[in-house]
Amino acid sequence: MRYLTVALSKGRLTELSVELFEAIGLDCTELKGSSRKLILTDEKNKVKFFLAKPSDVPTYVEYGAADLGIVGKDTLLEEGRHLYEVLNLGFAACRMVVAGPAELQGKLDQLNNIRVATKYPRIAREYFELKRRESIEVIKLNGSVELAPLVGLSEVIVDLVESGRTLKENGLVVLDHIADISARLVVNRVSMKMESERINNIVDGIRKELEKR
Amino acid sequence: MTKWKIYTPEGVQDILVNECFVKRNLEDKIRKVFRSSGFYEVETPIVEFYDAFLAEDGITAQETMFKFFDQQGRILVLRPEITIPIARLAATKFKDVNHPLRFCYIGNAFNYKELGGGKQKEFTQAGVELLGVNSPEADAEIIATAIKAVKACGLENFQIDIGQVDFFKGLMEETGLSAEETEQMRVLIDRKDYLAVEELVKTHNIREDLKELVLSLPRLFGSLDVIDRVEKYSLNEKSINALENLRKVLKILDDYKLSKYVSIDLGMVQSLNYYTGIIFRGFTYGVGFPILSGGRYDNLVEKFGKNSPATGFSLGINMIMMALERQKIETEKPSIDSLICYKEEGRKTAFEVCQALRNQGLVIEMDVTGNGIDELKQYARMKGIGGIINILDDQKIEIHNIEENQISTVTMDELLRR
Repeated sequence: MRYLTVALSKGRLTELSVELFEAIGLDCTELKGSSRKLILTDEKNKVKFFLAKPSDVPTYVEYGAADLGIVGKDTLLEEGRHLYEVLNLGFAACRMVVAGPAELQGKLDQLNNIRVATKYPRIAREYFELKRRESIEVIKLNGSVELAPLVGLSEVIVDLVESGRTLKENGLVVLDHIADISARLVVNRVSMKMESERINNIVDGIRKELEKR
Repeated sequence: MTKWKIYTPEGVQDILVNECFVKRNLEDKIRKVFRSSGFYEVETPIVEFYDAFLAEDGITAQETMFKFFDQQGRILVLRPEITIPIARLAATKFKDVNHPLRFCYIGNAFNYKELGGGKQKEFTQAGVELLGVNSPEADAEIIATAIKAVKACGLENFQIDIGQVDFFKGLMEETGLSAEETEQMRVLIDRKDYLAVEELVKTHNIREDLKELVLSLPRLFGSLDVIDRVEKYSLNEKSINALENLRKVLKILDDYKLSKYVSIDLGMVQSLNYYTGIIFRGFTYGVGFPILSGGRYDNLVEKFGKNSPATGFSLGINMIMMALERQKIETEKPSIDSLICYKEEGRKTAFEVCQALRNQGLVIEMDVTGNGIDELKQYARMKGIGGIINILDDQKIEIHNIEENQISTVTMDELLRR
């Protein structure tokens, strides 16, 4: 039997993903340890697991280097890959929003040149160009995006918000909601066909497990 | 100013000896399959006017085409695919022909796409187009040709998924969704995003049974019972006809004895404006992308001035090569049977022997270095040449068997009679 390969996102999704796979009887305990091995194998079920940077998971899955993957919806939107998004796992829930100083509330349309600081240039562009029909200048940052409007680098930001505390403490407010974000199970388009039985078993197993919770 | 001269641009590649040999072999095999089914090969230019590929519902996005200008300032493109050129050719060069047209092609196409997984900006496509007929027999013939071509390449484990875009179009008409919402739905179903499909369905006032059917769309793939399951719903004429058409095509493929390669996917909904009926894709192990795709496109040729239904497919030769490699399927390697070397007194004899052996179908390399036999042996070993024929004169020819390290001496007559 061929190995099925699963790509998991390194970081806050790792532990939750591992729990889920263990709950349906796949062995990926080693991932939790401090092992330096890059690929771990469940020989009994012929499944391989590896951890990758979240933004790389959709790439591995699209190219078929992994058959399945677990990754946040934010990354999926940003990467815009061709793959099947089969299950909302529900965990790591947060929101993708446009945020800025309170005085911009309801006045987003009146700005002429909008500079948007974000870690998600594609999501920002698609939102402003397709939904609001506005041209924007995207300023790509790699972290602490909330800083940008405070120091005059941009008018607004597009970022993930969980509790909204960081925004509040920095005097920013949510100006518009772009999308609800949570972890998703994704499948390569060809694997879904060529290994449909095994993949569907995993998908159904996870779905049942999620319903129990 | 010559900083880049030793590089090739990203996304294009040199194809070296072994790979090139495999590629030509595959192309020959595919060409044979196409010809044996009565498809005539045509060649269209690599450069075309941008206008030909420009359509609001085009299958190739503007930004993915290689563009430049001619001397009159008109926009030219490197062809991003070969179906549209064939449609142009059929509508203009064969505009008064009423019988079915069967064309095939093997050629390179260009696309600014992201690299990886075997995808390059320059790639080779092989395909057939059958124009002038709209019948299930024509669709089945195209699918059968696709299957035969993949098999001829040496792949045995692959699957062709067949859908019918009119089923989805009819279903959307019945639900009363707007064109924009239909497009939204199409994208979600194409992505098999079950959850988002559910949300979209919930927000609309759609008949309960249809809601259920739309929700099941991303899962509607598998064997014939998919159609049985769907036929229980009350559908409009368009959808019913689509299912009927799909059934007919599958029945014909069954008579071709090709059922084992075929499976159904009613959730296959890519390029709704381009395709008008049967649509299919081929998959195999080891590559993350389809190796072939095709379907019926009855409205395309019309854009070039002739009303003509059409169906066809194209296959990515680079994808096939990647699949063969990943599936560890043995492919032939180029080889040289013998190396001939000589001293001046033996030159005439050498040329005679060489020609005679080549006429027998052997691959013979003539030594042009004049190196000594020991050096030549080393060279032969490195290159995997089976033997060296050292011609001293017409009565004395040494044959060095490289593998077994043996030498025998023969005359020219003896050598050629072997």
